[in-house]
Amino acid sequence: MDSTTKKQIVISPVTRIEGHAKITLQMDDRGQVTEARFHVNEFRGFEKFCEGRLYTEMPVISARICGICPVSHTISSVKACEMIQGVEPTYAGNLLRKLMHIGQNISSHALAFFHLSSPDFLLGYDSDPARRNILGLAEKYRDLAIRGIRLRKFGQEISERITGKKIHAMGIAPGGIAFPLTEENRKALLNWIPEAKETIHIGINVIKKFHDENEAMVKSFSPTPTLYLGTVGSGGQHELYDGKLRFVDEDGIILQDHVDPKRYLEFIAERSVNWSYLKMPYYKPYGFEKGIYRVGPLARLNVASRMKTPEAQAEFEQFKKINNSKPVHGTFYFHYARLIEALSGIEDAEIILNDKLITDKHVQHFARWNNHVGIGCSEAPRGTLFHHYVTENTGKIKKVNLLIATGQNNPAMNRSILDVAQQYIHGDQIEEGMLNRVESAIRCYDPCLSCSTHATGAMPFMVELVDSEGRILKTIAREN
Amino acid sequence: MSMTKLTLQIDGRSIETESGRTILEVCKENDITILTMCHLKGITDVGACRLCLVEIEGVSKLMSACTTKVADKMIIRTSTEKIKRYQRITTELFAAERNHVCSVCIANGHCELQKLAYDVKMDHIRYPYLFPQCEVDTSHPLYVLDHNRCIVCTRCVRVCAEVEGAYNWDVMNRGTNVRIISDFNTPWGESITCSDCGKCVEACPTGALWPKAVVQGQLNKAPEFISDLIEKRKMKL
Repeated sequence: MDSTTKKQIVISPVTRIEGHAKITLQMDDRGQVTEARFHVNEFRGFEKFCEGRLYTEMPVISARICGICPVSHTISSVKACEMIQGVEPTYAGNLLRKLMHIGQNISSHALAFFHLSSPDFLLGYDSDPARRNILGLAEKYRDLAIRGIRLRKFGQEISERITGKKIHAMGIAPGGIAFPLTEENRKALLNWIPEAKETIHIGINVIKKFHDENEAMVKSFSPTPTLYLGTVGSGGQHELYDGKLRFVDEDGIILQDHVDPKRYLEFIAERSVNWSYLKMPYYKPYGFEKGIYRVGPLARLNVASRMKTPEAQAEFEQFKKINNSKPVHGTFYFHYARLIEALSGIEDAEIILNDKLITDKHVQHFARWNNHVGIGCSEAPRGTLFHHYVTENTGKIKKVNLLIATGQNNPAMNRSILDVAQQYIHGDQIEEGMLNRVESAIRCYDPCLSCSTHATGAMPFMVELVDSEGRILKTIAREN
Repeated sequence: MSMTKLTLQIDGRSIETESGRTILEVCKENDITILTMCHLKGITDVGACRLCLVEIEGVSKLMSACTTKVADKMIIRTSTEKIKRYQRITTELFAAERNHVCSVCIANGHCELQKLAYDVKMDHIRYPYLFPQCEVDTSHPLYVLDHNRCIVCTRCVRVCAEVEGAYNWDVMNRGTNVRIISDFNTPWGESITCSDCGKCVEACPTGALWPKAVVQGQLNKAPEFISDLIEKRKMKL
């Protein structure tokens, strides 16, 4: 093919995700999309500027990576610190950290579903972009929008009632946590459970109705198979906080099971590309081309043998029927998986809040620097998150490696964009709704590209169709 | 030294006191608020931070209240627009000189510099940040010295010398290159004078000196404990 006839579509910025990114779609002379690239065009530099700090500062510094999943960063970080010290957290301290982690997961999933994604399902992919957001949702589905906002509030209130802060909580320390939970706060959190459960069930009904009414679209929405990575408990049950790693292939065959997260480098390698600040991790034994794997809610449900709690288990059994107990590959099912996880979290929170030792005052063990290396892992809302530190003898950080969930989904996201773009974009006649579907493929992964940058559909949005000489053939602009 | 009674005026109030006292001491006794950073009750004042500047009638320049002794019939003003402007400038310069990042600082919520910034209503900084490359000394088994957060108030230097008597801390260089040093600029963990007492950590107004055992949210310095200790030692029970 003559390269001078190539055309390119640029979607920049991608809206209703956390962070800044753009998409370029390369088209051939027949107007068919041949290549898709998801560019993350911001640079954070945490791995570099944390060098030289004391390792115990990392749980606080790394929390600032993100305003949506700060607890996950702190948990992975504090586990790495505990490996450095060779200390275990106290029972109550660990329970409180687990509760905070659940709270953040609920809050993040509520944000992803109700605030960012549900406008597409309830208002329509082709509806007015200016109203296709949480505010537009509130105009038409007031009760649902308020419920979504309150569910997020519940998740954040867990953190606030334990540490005094909703977002970047203080006091998660190696050996446990700094503050015990008061009986008053325990009761206040328990009071939220019925409402939170009800909201999740409403959300599940919304997504199931959408599945039923749009079966063809849902099933064909980027169903390209990949490998999956997630954390499971000793019995193969779904886990977010503690547990071991499990890799499964596209047919659900377990490739690696009960792998200690400390061994992650034996199974995961990374490749850099010159067009994005996001690296491309892959399953090492299979190489870059065949080793594309996904993490996050869909992956966790695909690797898990069962859920821990009854209501979530009932939904999980229905989820498993989608592909006859094999992994569910359709990218659209991320939303359903997210809601099942949130339901599981609410049930789990109720169990934890009823634990007799949850208000125990012995919340922290104390230790000093003992080992040079620390590796910590947790399941962030968007997937498996690794923190890896190397220290000097005095505890000063020499090297930091952060393997973030969104990074691990990066190769798969690029593939999903290509799938959806090839399905919906043909020729020069591009409608805004088509591009929204391409963006929506990204939104399924709920990527977290920076610290809590939320564009609620009000960001400028421009698509340019340009030829390889840089000449603009067509422009579609969305106003602020 | 014999004390003589004298009368002076502060912010329009007539106050009776005794000679030999500093303006700061008299103000504190009379509940007149004066901002300070380098002052710590009981140790020698050095007038380093320039926050306690006051106007004295008949004196053309501002004087530091912590190092200026009261005199009979002195007319002092502590809260004029000029003083407030200088205090704001001084605070902004503290913030611009090194790398103060409250959000990740161990002292967040328990920091005298942070409180000062609130007191002077510092909502932005008009000076370019210097972003100096500063060392973090983690060599001591119990404590950390982070030069990024140091404002060179020298409370640690004076407490170590005057209260503990160890003389571990000193100051080297000039201007923006000034640094607190342990012994003859050796890692703190290798000091042969430090007694590990931790008084310098308690005296430090920011997150420059902190115990390794705590994380953000757990730091609770008590510099007043140093002042109480000095008072108790004077009693010689």
